[in-house]
Amino acid sequence: MKEIDKLPVRNRKGREFIEKVGSGGLALTSIIGLVFLLILVYQIAKPTIIDGEEGEIVAATEFLPISDYILKWDNPSVDEDGNLISEPIILQLAWDDENGSYEHEIEITVIPQRNVKENIQLNENGVDTNEVTVGKKTKFYIYSTLSTPVSVHQISGPTPAANETGYPQVNTFVIQSDVSTVFSNGISIEEAIAVMSWSFLMVMILVYVFPNEKIIQSISSTSKNHQIIRWLSLAPFLFFILNEITVIRFFIVLNCFIGLRMLANLSEGIFRLSNQMMPLNDKILLKHSIVNRDGLMLWARLFFLVSTFFIPLSVHIPFLTERYQDIFQPYSSGIRSAFYGTFWVMGIAMFMAIPISIGAAIYLEEYAKPTRLTKLIQALITNLAGVPSIVFGLFGLAIFVREGGFGLGFGPSIFAAGLTMGVMAMPIIVLAAQEALRSVPRSIRESAYGIGCTRWQVTKDHVLPSAMPGMMTGTILAMSRIVGEAAPLLVVGAFGAVLFDPEPFAALTDGNINFTVIPIQIYAWTAEPGHEWHAMAAAASIALIAVMISMNSIAIILREYYRRRLNS
Amino acid sequence: MTEENTENDIPPSTRKLDIDGEAEIHIDGLDLWYGTKQALYDVSLPIAKNCVTSLIGPSGCGKSTLLRTINRMNDLIPICRYEGEIVQGETEITAKDADLVSIRKNIGMVFQRPNPFPKSIYDNVAYGVKLHHKPSREQLDSIVEKSLKRAAIWSEVSDRLHDLGTSLSGGQQQRLCIARSIAIEPDVILMDEPCSALDPIATAAIEELILELKKDFTVVIVTHSMSQAARVSDYTGFMYLGRMVEFNKTEKIFSDPDQELTKRYITGRFG
Ligand SMILES: Nc1ncnc2c1ncn2[C@@H]1O[C@H](COP(=O)(O)OP(=O)(O)OP(=O)(O)O)[C@@H](O)[C@H]1O
Ligand SMILES: [Mg+2]
Repeated sequence: MKEIDKLPVRNRKGREFIEKVGSGGLALTSIIGLVFLLILVYQIAKPTIIDGEEGEIVAATEFLPISDYILKWDNPSVDEDGNLISEPIILQLAWDDENGSYEHEIEITVIPQRNVKENIQLNENGVDTNEVTVGKKTKFYIYSTLSTPVSVHQISGPTPAANETGYPQVNTFVIQSDVSTVFSNGISIEEAIAVMSWSFLMVMILVYVFPNEKIIQSISSTSKNHQIIRWLSLAPFLFFILNEITVIRFFIVLNCFIGLRMLANLSEGIFRLSNQMMPLNDKILLKHSIVNRDGLMLWARLFFLVSTFFIPLSVHIPFLTERYQDIFQPYSSGIRSAFYGTFWVMGIAMFMAIPISIGAAIYLEEYAKPTRLTKLIQALITNLAGVPSIVFGLFGLAIFVREGGFGLGFGPSIFAAGLTMGVMAMPIIVLAAQEALRSVPRSIRESAYGIGCTRWQVTKDHVLPSAMPGMMTGTILAMSRIVGEAAPLLVVGAFGAVLFDPEPFAALTDGNINFTVIPIQIYAWTAEPGHEWHAMAAAASIALIAVMISMNSIAIILREYYRRRLNS
Repeated sequence: MTEENTENDIPPSTRKLDIDGEAEIHIDGLDLWYGTKQALYDVSLPIAKNCVTSLIGPSGCGKSTLLRTINRMNDLIPICRYEGEIVQGETEITAKDADLVSIRKNIGMVFQRPNPFPKSIYDNVAYGVKLHHKPSREQLDSIVEKSLKRAAIWSEVSDRLHDLGTSLSGGQQQRLCIARSIAIEPDVILMDEPCSALDPIATAAIEELILELKKDFTVVIVTHSMSQAARVSDYTGFMYLGRMVEFNKTEKIFSDPDQELTKRYITGRFG
């Protein structure tokens, strides 16, 4: 009997199960990629080749709903002299709030001159006018500062696209009022807290990187209480109980949480050092005494970087914090909704592309036998990485935007755009991840197999950690490539003028699906006549580059983290 | 024998395979192909229990290939295909449905280039144990210590167990790899030129270690150094172009080989 056989033996059932599920799952991800491809080919071929003459390709714009909050009469019912030739145009606005329900009717007079317009303001007191005069072929807007939805019905007059009843119902719309409060009594201190949490995290990162003796000394006096700080670090989450979660609040809470965690671990380290009568001014000693220093630094840096983007939203820099206003107010417009649009599109794209692509890469590289089929898939993926982005736009249009056939019918929404961008990033990520996996030295695999690892254990414990830096870099580079893409989103149906913060999952919840992203916003603004708009477009380009640089910084931070974990 | 060897001149694999004690592993009539190229021809070999068996032969003759077949590492090479039988006790290693995990657990391997995991020294040794067993923290500590001591590296690393394994010198890394293999207490340890990347002092340390290990384990070692084979091994197999040309006790091979080819190889008058 060998010594080692006296130890309890690990159960191998679970391990074998994982092995099977693992390779099955990975194969599945690979197949998902292939199915996407086949659908793409089929969808393109079907109307023109398979269905022949009978087929029809519906242009994207045909089923784009007329924007929810812009009523547009392309052919106003006036004669050459400007006299109304049909019944008057009357809109009925209706909404409910705490004080009851309201209803207002607005009569619209259309005159032959273009570009004459009056916008309608809507607030708690009702509308500011009951009659407006609008030029022919001119957009006008209804602005609302109410926080409840307002429904708009046209109850009289010619209609742009009437339904069976003759009275199309314009969708409900809502503009959230811009009041940000922390507590319901209305004290607006959220901005200050946001900046403070951000600065706190910055200070903690600086202390970790450059442990200043004076600061360490001052922390050491309270370091006995590190356990209290640790508990305290959970306190920010109470904030979520008191308030609904918004992006800014999310970052406030997590910044505070990570900052306090860092402080707690630092105090604990100092506490331990001073207990052992070690000097506090030895930086290397200090670094080693902090539990999970690398992990904390990783999260701190990531959150610091990302929340940097949301800080301007709370200190109000108009270019970043304002939405697109209207054509006559360039300098009060901003890229806020475009920025949110980009954020969500990228978020959804990553969420969908990364697991599928990395799974496919692992399967192709580690599991798949080199059969004809895998070689075919490999060739397809390689070629797909070079397919022009507009083609992916059409793919997204066919699959995600349109309904019918293989179409999932998400409409021209952020969700559809994110999925399209995700599909576009997939081949790039697969190739980068395969490259990273291939560059893991064979000796690592051999040594792992040599002591009896299963394939999945080799992959998970040895190959993936070594390949992780390369995969991360490849992934983020793919993402920073697609963040600047405009072409596919033009096809999918991004708008140039979006007055709201986009709703990422509107396609699933029947909300307002309109969205724009920074590149489209730049494109739309360069197309405007005024030179102010061109300046805005230039500024937006800089903002886009800033987004890209920050994404690359995230790649670098992650890569450094994994490198350090492998080499330190 | 002429100077240029044609196919016909190559002696076939020998069937003269006598060993004194009990055999741990029997290799029987192994043919192996990489794609269409045959790398092993009808190789048979007994591996004596608690002895060191060394494999010698010119470069490319199939020593590594044979060694890697014993713990089925060749399965990792997709184009590799073999026929023949390898048995260890009751288990048939070459069976189609063989349990590769337990085979590799029972037959450890040390590679030509030291290849510790990019983990700490402690984890390098502990990883394999945790893979197969559920030791407590104390048990694990003692296994790690015992393995490192057996691999004659404990004194050099005991104060830095949590440094990265890859931060050691080449010779230390190789001994760490040996510690990693013996931590899971295999029956057999296969070593593929374990000293080829090492200086004479590290080589001497490893050779000493091999002699020490043979008390508890069966060792198979591939080497290019005649003197090393003569020093450490009990049995020696001489391979040539995929054939096991001669197999015998080491003293016999090095003093009075049966085959002319073997004699020329070990005296360095070759090729
Ligand atoms: N992965 C492989 N694919 C194809 N052929 C291989 C592979 N590995 C080895 N071979 C071939 O098999 C034969 C035996 O190789 P092997 O590595 O076993 O030789 P060796 O005796 O270990 O040589 P060395 O002393 O140089 O290590 C060689 O002719 C080699 O070309
Ligand atoms: Mg070799």
